[in-house]
Amino acid sequence: MKKKLLSLLVVATMSASFVACGNGGSDSNGSGSGVSITILNSKTEIQTQFEEMAEAYEDATGVHVEVYNADTDTTVASQVATKYASNDPYTLTMVDAKDIYSLADDYAYDLSNEDWVSHTNLGITVNDKLAGFPFCVEARGVLYNADAIEAITGETFDPSSVATLDDFKALLDELKAGGMEQPVGVLSEYWSLGAHYFAEVYEQQEDPDAFVNSLLAGEADLGSNEKFNELMDTFDTLIAYNYAKGSAANADREETSMKLAEGEIAFMFGGNWDWSVINQYDYTENMGIMPVPENTSDDTNTKLVGGGSKYIFVDSSDATSDEQRQAALDFLNWLVSDPEGNAFLTEQCALVPAFDNIDASALDPLSLSVKSYADAGKLIPNYNYLPDDHMTVVGQEIMQKYLDEAMSRDELVKEVETYFKSATPIEH
Amino acid sequence: MENEKAARNKKIKHALMIIVLTILFIAFVFPFIMVIMNVFKVKSDITANPLALIGRHGFTLENFPNAIKKMNFFRSFGNSLVVTIFSTIGTIILSSMTAYLIVRNNWKANKILFVTMIASMVIPFQVLMVPLVSLYGGIFGILNHRITLIFMHIGFSLSMATFMFHGSIHTNVPISLEEAATIDGCNKWQIFSQIVFPILKPTIATVAIIDAMAFWNDYLLPSLVLGRKELYTIPIATKVFYGTYSTDTGLIMAALLLAMLPILVLYLFLQRYIVEGITAGAVK
Amino acid sequence: MKTNTMSYKLKQYLLFAGVSTVIFACVVIIPFIYGLYLTFTSWDGVSRVKPFVGVENYVNAFADSGYWVSLGRTFIYSAIAVILVNAVAFIIAYMVTSGIKGQNFFRAGFFVPNLIGGIVLGYVWKFVFNKALVELASTISSGNAKSLLATESGAIAALIIVSVWQYAGYMMLIYVAGFMSVSEDVIEAAKIDGCTGSQSIIHISIPLMTASFVQCLFLTITRCFMVYDVNLSLTNGDPYGSSALAAMHVYNQAFINKNYGTGQAEALILFIICAVIGGLQVYVGKKGEVQA
Repeated sequence: MKKKLLSLLVVATMSASFVACGNGGSDSNGSGSGVSITILNSKTEIQTQFEEMAEAYEDATGVHVEVYNADTDTTVASQVATKYASNDPYTLTMVDAKDIYSLADDYAYDLSNEDWVSHTNLGITVNDKLAGFPFCVEARGVLYNADAIEAITGETFDPSSVATLDDFKALLDELKAGGMEQPVGVLSEYWSLGAHYFAEVYEQQEDPDAFVNSLLAGEADLGSNEKFNELMDTFDTLIAYNYAKGSAANADREETSMKLAEGEIAFMFGGNWDWSVINQYDYTENMGIMPVPENTSDDTNTKLVGGGSKYIFVDSSDATSDEQRQAALDFLNWLVSDPEGNAFLTEQCALVPAFDNIDASALDPLSLSVKSYADAGKLIPNYNYLPDDHMTVVGQEIMQKYLDEAMSRDELVKEVETYFKSATPIEH
Repeated sequence: MENEKAARNKKIKHALMIIVLTILFIAFVFPFIMVIMNVFKVKSDITANPLALIGRHGFTLENFPNAIKKMNFFRSFGNSLVVTIFSTIGTIILSSMTAYLIVRNNWKANKILFVTMIASMVIPFQVLMVPLVSLYGGIFGILNHRITLIFMHIGFSLSMATFMFHGSIHTNVPISLEEAATIDGCNKWQIFSQIVFPILKPTIATVAIIDAMAFWNDYLLPSLVLGRKELYTIPIATKVFYGTYSTDTGLIMAALLLAMLPILVLYLFLQRYIVEGITAGAVK
Repeated sequence: MKTNTMSYKLKQYLLFAGVSTVIFACVVIIPFIYGLYLTFTSWDGVSRVKPFVGVENYVNAFADSGYWVSLGRTFIYSAIAVILVNAVAFIIAYMVTSGIKGQNFFRAGFFVPNLIGGIVLGYVWKFVFNKALVELASTISSGNAKSLLATESGAIAALIIVSVWQYAGYMMLIYVAGFMSVSEDVIEAAKIDGCTGSQSIIHISIPLMTASFVQCLFLTITRCFMVYDVNLSLTNGDPYGSSALAAMHVYNQAFINKNYGTGQAEALILFIICAVIGGLQVYVGKKGEVQA
């Protein structure tokens, strides 16, 4: 037994060290002559396209690009944080705008001398350093299935005809009378409620920064704010016509998207990224995004909210070699200036490009909607400085409860105001 | 008469038990049935009606090759296998030795070690996560090696395994046996390896199963240690499917089934051994 | 042989526990101490600077009402889950050791839920609760059924159900070993003395199985207190944050809200509570064992 045990131990250690050695070999920059870079992709819906592109890119340039998919159970920020804590960062990291602000000082390489700079004004500059490469343009609004609407009304659907809440309601009632029991879907995910819908309350203000600051200072009177009430009136309507009424806080994203794609419902609050979910089902091309209907005196009900979305920064730390950094910069240039790179963005990934030299005529219906609003200058910019826990507190604890009709608007006002008084502002 | 009645009662009792067990059993395997029912459907059919035996788009096998390819199943399988086997062997040998030392010697150092180990079992992993990667990645730079993961797996599972061996040595290994061996001239190491270790077989089997499964299924630690694709284990590879914007349910079901299958087979094999082991241990 | 000299003790210790001690210290103790240090800094988890702030994080932790609410919730969840897990496990263990047909099959079967990992398991159950059961209920009652996960108490109930499902098989195994360690002779002797089946369980098996109980209770208590992955994948705190248990709150505090120090401090408080309860339970259990 002793011998057996001992030999077992010996075998175990030996094989373990063998494994370690074998691993050490394959660990160093794989493809021999070429450089190897890594990229974190936080638009997980395009992971497959990304990997296919990486293969083609290696064939063409000899640079090995390894694409990592962001972990969806945690925030991208925490994933990037652990990578930096372990001194094993990605060469290129794709994050949200607010993450660029927190990471840029320490870890982002200055991109201001790159060729593509002249083709966009959507990059993010932090302390005079151009840190974020804008990956695409995205916008939010109300998604509609025109086929489903026209089947009942019998007329061509014109989104501008329902810009006001009153007109929108009238159409919803018409749809209802025409047999569509509940024409609306509202996603229950906290990012949709908090970072997408409720965020419009700040974004549609004349001066979002001043408004958020007054909330943080405990001075704003949210309950009597015009934009807040207009948007919440619309939200009340969405709630009233929600197909998932009764278990609204638990509505399933896949199911809601399927219902919209197949015309069981006609409207859903969302953005052009939802296309990648919708096109999994029996969808119609006759869809689009329209502004959130509002009874308002300003022109916000003619605009979508959005802009540059997902930013890539190049690691500036010692963990990345100069050679790798150059390869990373070349890759970003390739995306903007090479026809293959353009095709990857607009055709394979169906993204609205953030650069004016890229042709984008072959996009999906939702992205085309977004592009037409963007080209017409009808995008209200994203507000990127909401406190870190805004999404979980306002999105999940407050808005989700409101969506489930377990909270009145007065209570909502009180809770949001209380939240802001103790929230940590984002420096910018 | 008495005996007949008792026998009949026993029969009724057993029948009742089997019924109760069967009902419970169905409840226990219900989620697995759901997985198997949906693995042969395309995504839109799963969303539409998860209970239907066959979806609108019919029966499909395409989820499997897709899942195998996207997970890089065979490479992940190999990685999982290496990590699981060596971590389990290491844990069993080290923890049984440690437990033996602690049970048989009432030293202060042992008490401190044992209490520390027990206390460490309730440390939430999240507490250690960032310090761990900062130390081993940021300072020593030894992440991205399977042996680092094996080392950490052993470290984290030692407490629990030592605790189990402790209980088992305490109750199942008669001290008289060891005293006799000492008189025959055996030293402590011989006593442990030739007498105590073999008696511990049932516990070894239990620890092996429990730890092997924990290692096989662990996601968080491997994902922190093994950041390179060629090192991915099955749970990390499975995670690749979960996307915020496109959860391909059919693929996930296939991946799930693939991830479970190897451990299920191993379990079926070891299960027989574990029952035999427990019986042998009980009879002494 | 001198068995009480320091050098003998040292040699024995190094031989049997030396490697274990080193690995254990490297993997658990040192990171733990480093983590402890981090609770005295205002590190955000990302930046290079880790400013020292003293006990500020602990002050914040005590003032964080969300944390204490989630902790209270965790107590309720754990109490119910621990009792149910052990009751179900014990009953199953009794039935599969009573010599019925197919007991090996059942033993194997009930253990199967342990074969899949927490994250995956949560997703499977989410699918079952939200889809399969809702579909089933709507068919039966022909109305629009609501998922258990959509209500506040329902979500906690769902967590408990999944915990029982997940842990009962594991604990059953320990109880089975306990039942089998109670020697047949003792039970036979009791029968001859006129004990009925249930009497022999209550008066003989249970007292002799104290070690199994101590072990199972300790495991279930600590696991329930620290449950995270199932919480994450099954409810993620929904509806409206009402099902976020302590570990999830801690995780969100540290990584989503980027209050790394406060999160770590809260985790430490959770650890202390957990250690005290677990320790007390083992201590009481061991006392009981001596008497039996």
